[in-house]
Amino acid sequence: MVNERESLFRRLSAACGGHDGAVAGEPLPGGAPLAPEGDRVALFEKTFTAAGGILLRAPVEKTLSDLGETLRAEGVTALFFPEDDAASREIAEALVPFGPFNLTTAEEVREGSTSVTAGFRTAEAGIAETGTIVETSAGGKTLLPGLLADVHVSIVPVTSVVGRMEEALSILAAGTPRNISFLTGPSKTADIEQTLTVGAHGPKKAIALLLG
Amino acid sequence: MELNANAFGRNSRKALLDKTLQEALGRTTGRFQAHRDAAVAAFPEFEATRERASRIKRDVLDHLDTYLARFIAEAEKRGTIVHVARDAAQAREIAARIARDEGVTLAVKSKSMASEEISFNEALQGAGVTVVESDLGEFIIQLAGEAPSHIIAPAVHKTREQISRLFERHLGEPPTDSIPELVGMARKHLRAKFLSAGMGVSGGNFLVADTGSVVLVTNEGNGRMGTVLPRVHLAVVGIEKVIPRMADLPTFLRILPRSASGQAISSYVSIVTGTRRAGDPEGPERMHILLLDCGRSAILEGKYREILKCVRCAACLNACPVYQSVGGHAYGWVYSGPIGAVLTPLLVGLPEAAALPDASTLCGACADVCPVKIPLPDFLLELRSDAREQGLKTPGEIAAMKGYAGVMKRAGLLEAIERIAGVLGQFFTKGKGIGGLPYPFSGWTERRDFPAPAARPFRKQWKIKRGARG
Repeated sequence: MVNERESLFRRLSAACGGHDGAVAGEPLPGGAPLAPEGDRVALFEKTFTAAGGILLRAPVEKTLSDLGETLRAEGVTALFFPEDDAASREIAEALVPFGPFNLTTAEEVREGSTSVTAGFRTAEAGIAETGTIVETSAGGKTLLPGLLADVHVSIVPVTSVVGRMEEALSILAAGTPRNISFLTGPSKTADIEQTLTVGAHGPKKAIALLLG
Repeated sequence: MELNANAFGRNSRKALLDKTLQEALGRTTGRFQAHRDAAVAAFPEFEATRERASRIKRDVLDHLDTYLARFIAEAEKRGTIVHVARDAAQAREIAARIARDEGVTLAVKSKSMASEEISFNEALQGAGVTVVESDLGEFIIQLAGEAPSHIIAPAVHKTREQISRLFERHLGEPPTDSIPELVGMARKHLRAKFLSAGMGVSGGNFLVADTGSVVLVTNEGNGRMGTVLPRVHLAVVGIEKVIPRMADLPTFLRILPRSASGQAISSYVSIVTGTRRAGDPEGPERMHILLLDCGRSAILEGKYREILKCVRCAACLNACPVYQSVGGHAYGWVYSGPIGAVLTPLLVGLPEAAALPDASTLCGACADVCPVKIPLPDFLLELRSDAREQGLKTPGEIAAMKGYAGVMKRAGLLEAIERIAGVLGQFFTKGKGIGGLPYPFSGWTERRDFPAPAARPFRKQWKIKRGARG
């Protein structure tokens, strides 16, 4: 296979016409104005909602009852969260009486549980430009709550909301974790008669809980 | 995929007579275009971003040897096993070997046009591996035993009734005319596959040179499932998909979904790099990337280099009046629409697809919407001229074009012909139009209706109108 690779590079070098090897490289985008935190959060609320997400904000008691109601309406009966995610655990446990909901684990859901589930996870960043939640595998974090659940609840500290995609990547791509995921709104498909339908493979509802 | 591009004429005729297809095409391409136009209008930086994306891609192609070498080195540094295939046969061999060596019996695949080029599924099935398409549209047409007809909406030619019948027959589901129910059935069926498959197969929208990452852009979330759950991940990607840096990715994420479906961003973007790290609770233990040349290095060397800038958004398909009329299957291979009319002859050889560059009115709509500014109409014209030089045009076509050129260069002759045509045309067609001419002109009218020549030629009408306006 090494030979095949060498032969490819011979073809490419011939095609590229023996340039001097110096790659020009585009200058990075000239930083559009990065809004102050308050504006970034306001923009995030707008774009997240426009992408089909449901955004909830403190005070906590009111948020919990709203969230409980939304989950019940989706038929959710079980909640799960990463073992090491204290904020998610706290909120999921506080939600139990608003259900009633059972607590379950990602492993059980992966084994093929038949319950309708809500998966909780603290986001590593929110991107105001697009209403995107960013989750990575850095530091051994799990992606399963946003992957396998019927409803995904992201806990988003306002301090983690950035303006543009470049900022999120410059922070989170450091050390290039195995997986960096941008999640924007629910899973969708329009493959049947161009009719937009949610819940193709991933969550049918995307909820963000803004904290702080 | 089987090649049938030179039958474009016959294929189009069939497509034009297919009522279901005609309805689906009308509904779909119009909607895609409206969404794309609205998204572009709502994003004032679109033009600047497009320019930037085009320049980055141009830079990559001019230095592809450097960028690809960097990509491979970075990917290998993070545990990815990189394979290189010169052609489809070699790619199939490598893919089958990977599946065998990894002990895979079930693979779930998310959408990859590159994998269609090499008939990936057949290769794996030959090695005893079941391949399940997980993109809903691809899943549907896999059940139907057909080929995709649109880059991003492969089952655009199927109605919900047809899909329900397929699910009844193959999945044992009850009949329904509810689209959400159909989506739910596919979700349930495919979720079980994701959880049990040994290998996830994906394409790659971008390869990031400075980190060795593969980037997948999806709305359904299947690309995400297939790169997190199975123990092996295989990405099949063309060598031209490299971008220089992670910092360049947002530029492309701002143009691709807008051009494809009119979204500011797709539901999911997965950036995957290497294998699972120590302490990661999930993720593949092994990652392979199969890089395809399959004709690309030859394109890079010639005058059509810029066609390799394509990001596969399909905006040119939706904008094309020919695609809108005949759909994807008529193009007889993996790629359709204007991009297919250029790329197919370049990848499979012009003699095998010489009919495709003619499948265009040269209206320019494709170039107007292309998010990386590929000069598609210029390439279509250039390919027509290559076809003539290679003797791939009939003597009749060449003679007709020479005659046409001769007339257009002589104003007096043109005027005389216009006058005669006007009188005769109106007389014979009673002003209704020309539907069929005798040989040797029948080649032109077989698939086209022409309006009758105007009683008063355009140039005369122009003179009168201009005169009236003073």
